[in-house]
Amino acid sequence: MKNKKILLALFAITFMMLLVACGGSDDEGSSGETDTEKTEDTNTETEEGNEEESSGEQVLKIANDQEPAGLDPHITPAHSSVRVYSKIYSTLVRFDENMEITSDLAKEWDWKDDTTLVFQLREGVTFHNGDEVTAEDVIYSFERILDEETGSHIASYLGSIDSMEATDTYEVTFHLASPDATLLTNLTNSSAAIVNQAVVEENGDLQQVAVGTGPFKLEEWVPDNRVTLSKNEDYYVEGQPAVDKLEYYTMVEEASRLSAVRTGEVDMTTVTAQSAELLENEENVNVMDFQTLEYSYVGFDMNHEILSNQKVRQALSLATNREAIADIVWNGQATVSGPIAPSMGNWSIDVKEHDLYSNDLDQARQLLEEAGYGDGFEIEITAASTYADMIDTAQILQQQWAEIGVDASIKQVEWGEYIDIWSNTSADVLVGRNGSGSDPDRAMNYFFNSEGSANVWGYADEAYDEIVTNGKTTIDDEKRQEIYVEAQNHLLEQSPNLFLVSPKNYVAVRDSVENYQPYPHNAEYIVETTKK
Amino acid sequence: MIIPVLFGVSVVIFFTLRVIPGDVAQTILGTSATEESLAALRNKFGLNMPLYEQYFTWMSGVLVGDFGVSMRTGAEILPEILSRFAITFELTILAAFISWIIAIPLGIIAGVKRNTKTDFSVRIISLLGVSVPNFALATILILVLSLSFNYSPPVGYVGFFEDPVKNLQILFLPAFVLGTGMAGAVMRMTRSSILEILRQDFIRTVRAKGVRERVVIFNHAFKNALIPILTIIGMQIGVLLGGTVIIEQIFSLPGLGQMVLTGINQRDFTVVQGAILFIAFVFVLINLLVDLLYSYLDPRISYK
Repeated sequence: MKNKKILLALFAITFMMLLVACGGSDDEGSSGETDTEKTEDTNTETEEGNEEESSGEQVLKIANDQEPAGLDPHITPAHSSVRVYSKIYSTLVRFDENMEITSDLAKEWDWKDDTTLVFQLREGVTFHNGDEVTAEDVIYSFERILDEETGSHIASYLGSIDSMEATDTYEVTFHLASPDATLLTNLTNSSAAIVNQAVVEENGDLQQVAVGTGPFKLEEWVPDNRVTLSKNEDYYVEGQPAVDKLEYYTMVEEASRLSAVRTGEVDMTTVTAQSAELLENEENVNVMDFQTLEYSYVGFDMNHEILSNQKVRQALSLATNREAIADIVWNGQATVSGPIAPSMGNWSIDVKEHDLYSNDLDQARQLLEEAGYGDGFEIEITAASTYADMIDTAQILQQQWAEIGVDASIKQVEWGEYIDIWSNTSADVLVGRNGSGSDPDRAMNYFFNSEGSANVWGYADEAYDEIVTNGKTTIDDEKRQEIYVEAQNHLLEQSPNLFLVSPKNYVAVRDSVENYQPYPHNAEYIVETTKK
Repeated sequence: MIIPVLFGVSVVIFFTLRVIPGDVAQTILGTSATEESLAALRNKFGLNMPLYEQYFTWMSGVLVGDFGVSMRTGAEILPEILSRFAITFELTILAAFISWIIAIPLGIIAGVKRNTKTDFSVRIISLLGVSVPNFALATILILVLSLSFNYSPPVGYVGFFEDPVKNLQILFLPAFVLGTGMAGAVMRMTRSSILEILRQDFIRTVRAKGVRERVVIFNHAFKNALIPILTIIGMQIGVLLGGTVIIEQIFSLPGLGQMVLTGINQRDFTVVQGAILFIAFVFVLINLLVDLLYSYLDPRISYK
């Protein structure tokens, strides 16, 4: 008897499971089909899409490949975070579409002398919590950045600030320790955001809360899934932002992002060069590209027995065919670059004309001979497996350098370890990518001055230090340009790094999205973007 | 046994995390790091304390249910783990259901009709289930569905109680992928244990009594075959609860696996060690449940 009851119960459970599951899968099938029909017929996608239309709310959905690592603009340099907090906070000044400095929170500014800069703030601007922005908030924000306790990544950009004073409710005066031609440009950095003191003090930091003055307000952050921003109705630029909501979805897998943008589940996403090609024939998706401010490079340990020899480094430069790297690694969609990426316009020199970019193998062999390594040598190239382009680049270099007898092996490491190796220079040769910043000082001073905090290579050259220090303190733009031409030629000659190519980035955009244009310095300029 | 196992796990995970290369502060600051900012961050996270001291601080919190806060975002870890676990749990249960529905009937049929065409087909299917890696199946499904049927699962996770339909739409594909993988093993186990039971004397006795074949199989054979099947199901649920990492990543589900992965990539030690300790706890708990179920299914097994 007892057995029978148990069996009956087991049967009943199995049966119910079957019902539930079949029901579930049927639903799935049919909703899939109706989705297809809907998209074919009317081009409206999901149920949610319909809701949006009826309420007239415009929601822009963007899929990202990485989860934000926190939202505090002063301590989080991760790109996945910047794209979110740059919509929430404002800076004193910003770049316009031509990369010219224009006003943001600061209405106007004035150099009183080489070391005194006065900002007039917009009046009546409020934080998302209703507090008004005054000179005190500006001073608090920069003091927080410069405070060592904060551990801010942007502090190194603003090192020339000596003191600040509120000369009026809406007027801040910056006193600099030395003339600094880069200051205004560095103030456009999204991390130089103006924050609210009360909010910081209440929460300890701003990793999870965000109260800014920007076009969007933080509505919700569901970790590893989405960040929802809603329109700031009180934003000080008339008519912006054009959409009511901005939703960022974290979708690590490229295939998922492609599928989501194809079916209209999201409106935009970044894609790789390879995927960009796959989307070319897609009717409702346009792929837009833009030249980045980044370049790929090969860094040398300058204290390495063989690599410390300038002739060896020059030989490796000559043995490197950068065009081939652009073709193979980036599908031909990259430009040969020097230490300042070509998209920096007049600041960068035309490196293609440089001798060391000529890929002259005979000359390379001869240089190796002169250096005493006519029979070649063995070397290890380290690259981060997190980025396919770095591994591909390493493999191509391995082949190209083999032509002059250099026997290179490749070591692949995970990103955390890579950063460790980078900072300790514990690799002979390191493949990497750098952002050349928005001011040439970043690329030239920060990475290669013997005192530069990102000069991990052990490159120390007094003549070079003098040139780039001069570049930082020279205010006149034309003179600065001459200085950086000299600096670039000097650096290429010395080759502490080999500069390779500057890639393009790709954004796949549904054709329902209007008024969107990516720029090298701002890939996500969406305050004017609307949806059909 | 539970306490020493969990203690062992906590020690191993804590020290492994600190041995792997990659410094938290350096990973956070990247190329923008300066000596001062690195030191400030390390100080903030308590990383300059001796290791054993860090361990005891962590453990004394855990013992009173305080898993600490994320090094990255400062968010409380335990509530986060619980809400993530709900997602992974639902996914696992769905996957398990799907696998049983496929595997158990097919396994029984294959066992009963040994060495027939049906049996061979079932065995091939189960071999495929076991051997096709689930990430491959997942990627293929996503590509085929989007290219041929213009379908992709909705983005933006919602809980079952918020919107059950959307929730199931989101979870069905990943559960299906995991379920088919699981089904292969369950199918093989069902088949072989049914075969074994059918050979036993008591089955012959039952048959000799003239009982109908269906009753023989379901009432007598299947119930006795359940024990090894249950073992493998229990193991698999345990594995899935901590091992849906790749599937969660491919389908962008904010589950526990994704939490661990993001944690590792961002070197968020407190998050990773908390989440893994929790997974270990759940795994141990499920094994315990399976053991208890044995004695229910077979009264001869008792724990005294």
